[in-house]
Amino acid sequence: MLAGVLTSVAAGICLLLVVLMLVFLLWYTWPAIRYNGLSILNDITWNIGNQYGTGSSVHNGVAAEPGAEFGGLVFLVGTLLSALLAMVFAVPLALGVALTIVYRLPERLRLPVNALIELMAGIPSVVYGLWGTIVLVPWVGNRVAPFVTHHFGFIPFLGGDAGSGNGLFAAAIVLAIMVMPIMVATVRDVLLAQPKSIFEASMALGSTSWQAVTHAVLPSVRTGIVGAILVAFGRALGETMAVLMVAGNAINILPHNIFSPINTIAAVVVSQLESAVSDASGVAQRSLAELALVLFVISLTVNTVARVAIRGQDRSH
Amino acid sequence: MRKFTAVALAAVFALGSFAAARAATPILETGSSLLYPLMNLWVASYQAKNHTVQITTQSTGSGTGISQAIAGVAQIGASDAYMGDPQMRGHRMLNIPLAISAQQINYNIPGLNNVHLHLSGPVLAGIYMGRIKYWNDPQIKALNRPYAGRLPHRTIIPIHRTDGSGDTFIFSQYLSFTTPMWSHGPGYGTSISWPSVSTAVGANGNPGMVQACKATPYSIAYIGVSFINETNKAGLGYGLLKNRAGRFVAPTASTIGSAAAAMYPKTPRDERISLVFAPGANSYPIINYEYAIVNPHQKNAETREALVKFLSWVLDHNGGQEMHFLNAVHFLPLPASIAKLSREQVAQIH
Repeated sequence: MLAGVLTSVAAGICLLLVVLMLVFLLWYTWPAIRYNGLSILNDITWNIGNQYGTGSSVHNGVAAEPGAEFGGLVFLVGTLLSALLAMVFAVPLALGVALTIVYRLPERLRLPVNALIELMAGIPSVVYGLWGTIVLVPWVGNRVAPFVTHHFGFIPFLGGDAGSGNGLFAAAIVLAIMVMPIMVATVRDVLLAQPKSIFEASMALGSTSWQAVTHAVLPSVRTGIVGAILVAFGRALGETMAVLMVAGNAINILPHNIFSPINTIAAVVVSQLESAVSDASGVAQRSLAELALVLFVISLTVNTVARVAIRGQDRSH
Repeated sequence: MRKFTAVALAAVFALGSFAAARAATPILETGSSLLYPLMNLWVASYQAKNHTVQITTQSTGSGTGISQAIAGVAQIGASDAYMGDPQMRGHRMLNIPLAISAQQINYNIPGLNNVHLHLSGPVLAGIYMGRIKYWNDPQIKALNRPYAGRLPHRTIIPIHRTDGSGDTFIFSQYLSFTTPMWSHGPGYGTSISWPSVSTAVGANGNPGMVQACKATPYSIAYIGVSFINETNKAGLGYGLLKNRAGRFVAPTASTIGSAAAAMYPKTPRDERISLVFAPGANSYPIINYEYAIVNPHQKNAETREALVKFLSWVLDHNGGQEMHFLNAVHFLPLPASIAKLSREQVAQIH
């Protein structure tokens, strides 16, 4: 009884926090929402305006510095593309690792491997970022990008400038490595919740283990896996520090291939806050908060869908 | 996150030192990464003789320096840029020059880093606008006849600052004052709307610029002279810049000094003026005053007294203006006439 009350209170507090956060963001960003209109979603140019000019730009009754424009499309595209590409790298790997843990790994190795995965999840993102800057980015810039653009340049999105190594590709690799542990852990739990008899029955019917997995196990846990991918996707969308360090901090330009410098919403909020505080009108700061609001809504949606999917999976047994 | 960590660390250190010297008045200096190395030399030397004040320094960027000085979090906001009129209308702050600095244009062209390429405002603007894409572009070749054959057909990677930065301010002023297309386009400021260049990369702070330029072959960057030791260690090349008289000059004490000398008489009483693209045959085109942004109203007498005393020492030719401090970071001291204007501003702190 008491436990029931306590948990409902705790749940209520969590919900209240989310609502309060939304209300605060809406209240704080309201002038920016009015100033920017739809351009926060579909305009490429981010310009805090001329701090040394005269006069001001006025939209919908809100005044900002002359020439100020707060287009978030570059950051929105960078956020989605880097997270999606990270999924392309991470999903097959994570599925393989999770299946191996559940069906192939001897019992005595499971504990250390699981511990290792938890450990990976616990490494601070700045460490991944540092590795990305020092090892990954020069490797991509000097080897991978020139090779790929030269030999596979005829494929759309692979041709053109090889760039410096900082960019979408490096960001996606770092993100993929970072979300791997959470994806492996979720898929593993989904698989473990599945009766082992499905796999065994399929094997008994003469399937190879590959056939048992692809024809019997995976179809039965499809929703759960989609949920696991979405949880990881949600994490990738909001990752900040590591992306900031390897993405190239692109501004005012959309990526034209997978090696182009990009920027994500989370990274731009950090990197542009410093500039935004020098905007006397304050609209730049509020526009950054508006970007954060956009990210918040996207993450909330992705996570909700993911939870529903995973719960749906659990219910089906 | 990084900023939060910095603040948290500062708080921990402040607490620690507070326990050590209970009576010391705390002064927080934060801002420009260009002024940071010099500020550390000044503070170490000053603190050795003055135990009643505890000065903490931080390298956060000029934008943060200005905003934290306005917010009253920091007593001294270090900035390479003076505040613009719109900001001054909201908050009347003192913009007090402490020293004269300059900026170099660095590049990382394997095989050519020991050569000082000739660069002009329009060529740099062309590079940062994406109109000049390769190192062997005819416009770069035209300025560098002796090395024309050695300039590689490699994509130029322009690196710019992502944080609000006085270095961006003076660099974009050089481009604005020399290139109409730039002044009508991105213009100048501590943070500007960079043109779309597919290979452009952003970096954070002067240390970040050095790191990015070093790590990225065929890149170009603008970096404050107080980082000359770091850029030399990184093996980067630096350019000779075209000045108003049409000559190509290196950032040396003599060229920075002659540019500054041309601008002293023009400096107004509130000392908010650009020194970029100064006249004179021997003048280096990208120099600036390094400012302390200070609120003229200080909350308590102790802080005010400690602040005035420290700033007066910095502006004294037997104190912070001694050559050994400035030589260490390749800055120049203020001449007597400007130091006097700065002292008059310090006198307004109440």
